[in-house]
Amino acid sequence: MSFYDYANLTGNDAMQFLRAAGVTLYITIVSLLIGSILGIALGIVRCSKNKAVSALPLILIEPLRNSPLVTQLFLIYYGLPMVSSIMLDPYPAAILAISLNTAAFMAVLVHNSISAVPQGQWEAGLALGHSSASTFIHVIARQAFRLLIPQAITLYISQLQCSSLVALIGIMDLTKLGQNLALRTLKPFMIYGIVFLIYYILSSPLSKLARDLEKKLSFNY
Amino acid sequence: MYIQRTTNDNYESLIHDITGKVGKEMAMIEVKNVTKSFGTLTVLKNFNVEFNQEGVTVLLGPSGTGKSTLLRCINGLETVDEGDILVNGRSVKEKKNLRDIRLDCGMVFQRTVLFPHLNVMQNLTMSPVKLLKMDKAKAEEKAIYYLKKVGLESKAKALHNELSGGEQQRIAIARALMMNPKALLLDEITSALDPEMTSEVLKILENLAAEGVCMLCVTHEMQFAKHAASRIIFMDKGSMEADVTAEEFFSTVRKENERIAKFLNFIGE
Ligand SMILES: Nc1ncnc2c1ncn2[C@@H]1O[C@H](COP(=O)(O)OP(=O)(O)OP(=O)(O)O)[C@@H](O)[C@H]1O
Ligand SMILES: [Mg+2]
Repeated sequence: MSFYDYANLTGNDAMQFLRAAGVTLYITIVSLLIGSILGIALGIVRCSKNKAVSALPLILIEPLRNSPLVTQLFLIYYGLPMVSSIMLDPYPAAILAISLNTAAFMAVLVHNSISAVPQGQWEAGLALGHSSASTFIHVIARQAFRLLIPQAITLYISQLQCSSLVALIGIMDLTKLGQNLALRTLKPFMIYGIVFLIYYILSSPLSKLARDLEKKLSFNY
Repeated sequence: MYIQRTTNDNYESLIHDITGKVGKEMAMIEVKNVTKSFGTLTVLKNFNVEFNQEGVTVLLGPSGTGKSTLLRCINGLETVDEGDILVNGRSVKEKKNLRDIRLDCGMVFQRTVLFPHLNVMQNLTMSPVKLLKMDKAKAEEKAIYYLKKVGLESKAKALHNELSGGEQQRIAIARALMMNPKALLLDEITSALDPEMTSEVLKILENLAAEGVCMLCVTHEMQFAKHAASRIIFMDKGSMEADVTAEEFFSTVRKENERIAKFLNFIGE
């Protein structure tokens, strides 16, 4: 008896796993890209010396960080059509929800990384004749970026895993496929075991990368 | 009246002369009636002083009397509350002047702040290339010249954490000189160093002084003040207590002025 027979799986199911992994990766990567760009922008605004300006992004950041992603997803997918004419398909709804959620967490990381660069670095840049903007670009942002990268990767890993929530609005990602196949084969331990392994294989090299970079990129000022 | 800034001036001369261009009647740095407070603490009180582009001026005084604040006000890192400071005729109160003022007055701090994401060579060349639009190859050539001046040409590729504290300060001096400052503002640049490194750095400063680099330094190194300083300013509680030549300071003034005698006693001189 072959593995496929034992598991009630077909070659086609193997293809489906690949396709579902692709869906998970697609939604995650697109959302992380959009979320990171938005998050970096929000994080930079958070660093403004003007108190009113720096508080503005909090309007977006705080609610997003203090509620479950799944609630945000349902609010966008099921809630928005009830109160507006915005009716999103599952994919755009999923991408919008994960992007906004990522942006909120990213903004905090960016703000923290920029604040972590010592004041002396600003003064050294200014004292050489750089404007504030030039000091930020050539001195502060470059150091902050190196502090940010390992933390951003850790956030990305967590968001990859959270992307499994899109199964709940019917997207055929890894988790949803696992559910379907578990019902069909009645072997949930094995099916979810495979799903588990695929998530693990996607995440674990990133975790190692984050750890390595953390050591390599950090500064002792 | 203002001095034209050029990027391809001849750096082989360490002295970036301004005499004749600003007119004899105007000092390079004019501190006029400056008052500066932090909250309720008044650090500088109606402070007046002038510096010409000549020699080494040492600023002395007990801790907390506003020496650092004065230097930081001169290059616009702190704002002045009242009065004004003119550097080559430009007021520190106008934001658009700050770039030129800071290029005129290079500053080195007590705690070294090399840019940790750049190696030594890049620390030296980044600002001339980005700010003064100097050609990269030319900037590197110039950097080697200044690295030799501070005795560290072998460290061009090093990162900041591969350098001792004294070496870092020497690099910071070279980095400031890369911008062709008319004067260097040095704020206790050896006070975080052990004695051996301190003498390394002071020796570099003495060499530079001998070549005519103008310096305004806060230091507690009396031997350096005796050897290199032409003028000594003693500050206490935000005002000027003495402004004399180094010879006068260490001969007559220290005997006649009780506070100065006390201070010199206190620091073990
Ligand atoms: N940014 C600031 N905010 C509040 N108080 C400050 C600030 N900078 C300096 N001070 C205070 O102003 C006073 C003068 O400080 P300053 O650093 O100019 O003294 P100093 O003469 O350089 O002393 P030291 O020899 O200890 O370096 C001190 O009492 C200090 O605590
Ligand atoms: Mg000081």
